[in-house]
Amino acid sequence: MTVSDRAPVAIEVPIVDSPPEEQAVGWSHRHLLDLDVVSWPEIELVMRTTDAMREVLARPIAKVPALRGRSVTILFYEASTRTRVSFEVAAKNLSADVVNIAAASSSVSKGESLVDTVRTVEALGADLLVIRHAVSGAPYLAAETFRGSVVNGGDGWHAHPTQALLDLYTMRSRLPGGSVEGRKIVILGDVLHSRVARSNIWSLTAAGADLWLCGPATLLRGFEAWAGRGAAAGRRFHVTSSVDEALRDADVVMALRIQRERMASGLLPSLREYAARYGLTSARLALARPGALVMHPGPMNEGVEIAPDVAAGTQSLITEQVTNGVAVRMALLYLLAGAVGPGRRAAE
Amino acid sequence: MTDLDISRAWLVDPAAGREGPGDIVVRDGILESVTWLDGADADGVDDRGVVVAPGFIDLHAHFREPGNEDAETIASGLAAAAHGGFTTVCLMPNTTPALDDPAVLAGIRAAADASGSPVRALAYGTVTAGRGGETLAALGELADAGVVGFSDDGAGVGSAALVRSALAYAGALGLPLVDHAEDASQTAGAEANDGFVATVLGLCGWPAAAEEVAVARDLAILAEVVRDVPAARLHLTHVSTAGSLDLIRRAKAAGLPVTCDITPHHLALTDEWVAGSRRWAWDATGDPWSDGAITTAAYASSLRVNPPLRSAGDAAACREALLDGTADAVATDHAPHTAVDKDVEFGLAANGISGIETALGVLLAVVDAGLIPLSRAIEALTTGPAAVLGTRFVDRPVGLVEGEPADLVVFDRSDSWTVSADALVSKGKNSPVIGRQLSGRVLATIANGRLAHEAALEFS
Repeated sequence: MTVSDRAPVAIEVPIVDSPPEEQAVGWSHRHLLDLDVVSWPEIELVMRTTDAMREVLARPIAKVPALRGRSVTILFYEASTRTRVSFEVAAKNLSADVVNIAAASSSVSKGESLVDTVRTVEALGADLLVIRHAVSGAPYLAAETFRGSVVNGGDGWHAHPTQALLDLYTMRSRLPGGSVEGRKIVILGDVLHSRVARSNIWSLTAAGADLWLCGPATLLRGFEAWAGRGAAAGRRFHVTSSVDEALRDADVVMALRIQRERMASGLLPSLREYAARYGLTSARLALARPGALVMHPGPMNEGVEIAPDVAAGTQSLITEQVTNGVAVRMALLYLLAGAVGPGRRAAE
Repeated sequence: MTDLDISRAWLVDPAAGREGPGDIVVRDGILESVTWLDGADADGVDDRGVVVAPGFIDLHAHFREPGNEDAETIASGLAAAAHGGFTTVCLMPNTTPALDDPAVLAGIRAAADASGSPVRALAYGTVTAGRGGETLAALGELADAGVVGFSDDGAGVGSAALVRSALAYAGALGLPLVDHAEDASQTAGAEANDGFVATVLGLCGWPAAAEEVAVARDLAILAEVVRDVPAARLHLTHVSTAGSLDLIRRAKAAGLPVTCDITPHHLALTDEWVAGSRRWAWDATGDPWSDGAITTAAYASSLRVNPPLRSAGDAAACREALLDGTADAVATDHAPHTAVDKDVEFGLAANGISGIETALGVLLAVVDAGLIPLSRAIEALTTGPAAVLGTRFVDRPVGLVEGEPADLVVFDRSDSWTVSADALVSKGKNSPVIGRQLSGRVLATIANGRLAHEAALEFS
């Protein structure tokens, strides 16, 4: 991907009140597993379709019949509130039927394999499967088995593509000019274990942002090499453990959650030291451009990676990320349903 | 007994240091005649067709019996070995129970006898009791029972102090310590080679340094132990990194009694495969995302193996080590697993590749690419591992010797086969080369004078 790939392209935005199979749109992916295979025009299509979904959400009755008769199964092997509910609300706003499976309450806890669970879900009539799993790559295994569409709702350290797309949407909606191109965007914290950071690398480098990854050196392991490969492939980004260097003149700062088990595994001395050296405080935020945007994928440890006054401050877009998440997921479910088409089960 | 006539084939006799066109005749299991052809008789015969070589010796295989017979049995493993051209296999002791007691070895021998296979099954004993990494196993009793060495394979020897004891004690018994070099403190939770692919895929990295620390540790201890116990020997198995091979190369140059083997998959595959690339190591760039090399889904669990598939540079170093003699042998690390243990999420899948039937084909891909001569590849499967085992366990010359019971493999480099679950004789279908065509189909394997495997040829 080079900068010229971001030249304006004609994007056919679907009329989202109608079923997706009646629309001719430029989306060819059956699954959404990560953004490494999603082109810039496709990302642009998601952004524009999200605009249309925002318009739906602004209506008195925020609902369209587009996915009526389609079944969305949300299979979460990890605890989650915001992402799971976000997918559920998105699917319901499109009039899809929604089934929620929390792994702890299913036969998974009796030792059923992922492949068997996916087959069962399919036999029960799912058209779209949203999966979250603690093991990197698990959605790829599900996609090998499942005949419909698989949406990665977060897998291990690997990817969280809907989060990255909602992050991009939120930045574009707030940055002057509506573009992240050339903007200094900082992802701050536990990059090593972050699926949010990895998916954002693909989307933000594709968008031409001046992307910086910052955190303690132990939590950046391997990313300097990725940055080197990225530069060679026209997807440049920067890696630093200096928080001052990262934050100086930043346009957007996204803090990542720090988990307590990082101390046990010897990667960090203490949460106190982390908060002191890398926590996003108002003093640190002052290094960034005036009015710089503050983001966090949640859930937050307030007082550790982000100070409460920053999280709740006027520059914070954290609740807006949640709102936009519903619209972005509506757009993705819509586009994926269009790629697979209706009557999939009847055809078999 | 077996009769076999092969004329105008390419004969490879690494013990005699000779290869060329020739005929062989086997009568009643005895290699009756070996006739080297020259002049007009040899016209049109080259090393790209039917090849006759001594039977292969595998220094490293897991046949899962006792304890996990759903994954492999002695009988199914021996059949798979014959299909791969192997006439001798050395089985790792990480069974359930572990081979830390002569009774387990007796059970393995009984199963091998009962199988009727002429393929010879040798076995290692554990270094530590129950492979627990705490106290020495009954090394002397195991040696008396006939184990070929000691290994806690699957993991490294638990502590440096135990390496020291085991090298000395096993050395005095005339047997090697066979170490799986892995510093466990650096590999907790590790899923794939620590590198660009693992970083992008969000997999926990298994660093090269975790192997190299263990190799350096073992070599430093060996250098001291040999002063007291000149017979002490160290064999490092499935060596996978450029750094490890450099350490071993220097240790050999300094005269230390160390040997090592490399697997076919570390010679020919890289961690790019985990990302969904399927190009050979010598074609890899290390960044399959930017050059369109990703042709299949990422995270195929058949690629989860320990040590992990490494970088293209490491694979090149492995081939270099094989060429310059730093590596003594190619060993398969045949590690069959059931679908229950393997058809799961990448990070939950058991480590290992079912590889004893594809070893020759994968190695021939290296040969076909012009990176290793055929003769060296054959050495690494025959005289190389025989020298590691020593004359105590290989008491006949590993070559094409008239008057001896035939022990040989016949394969056709001009004939390929498609690897598939059905085509694999092993119960373990966990092969990353399923779906791929490999050259060098094995036409016949004769072990100790008896036919162990045949494909297209007719035998009386």
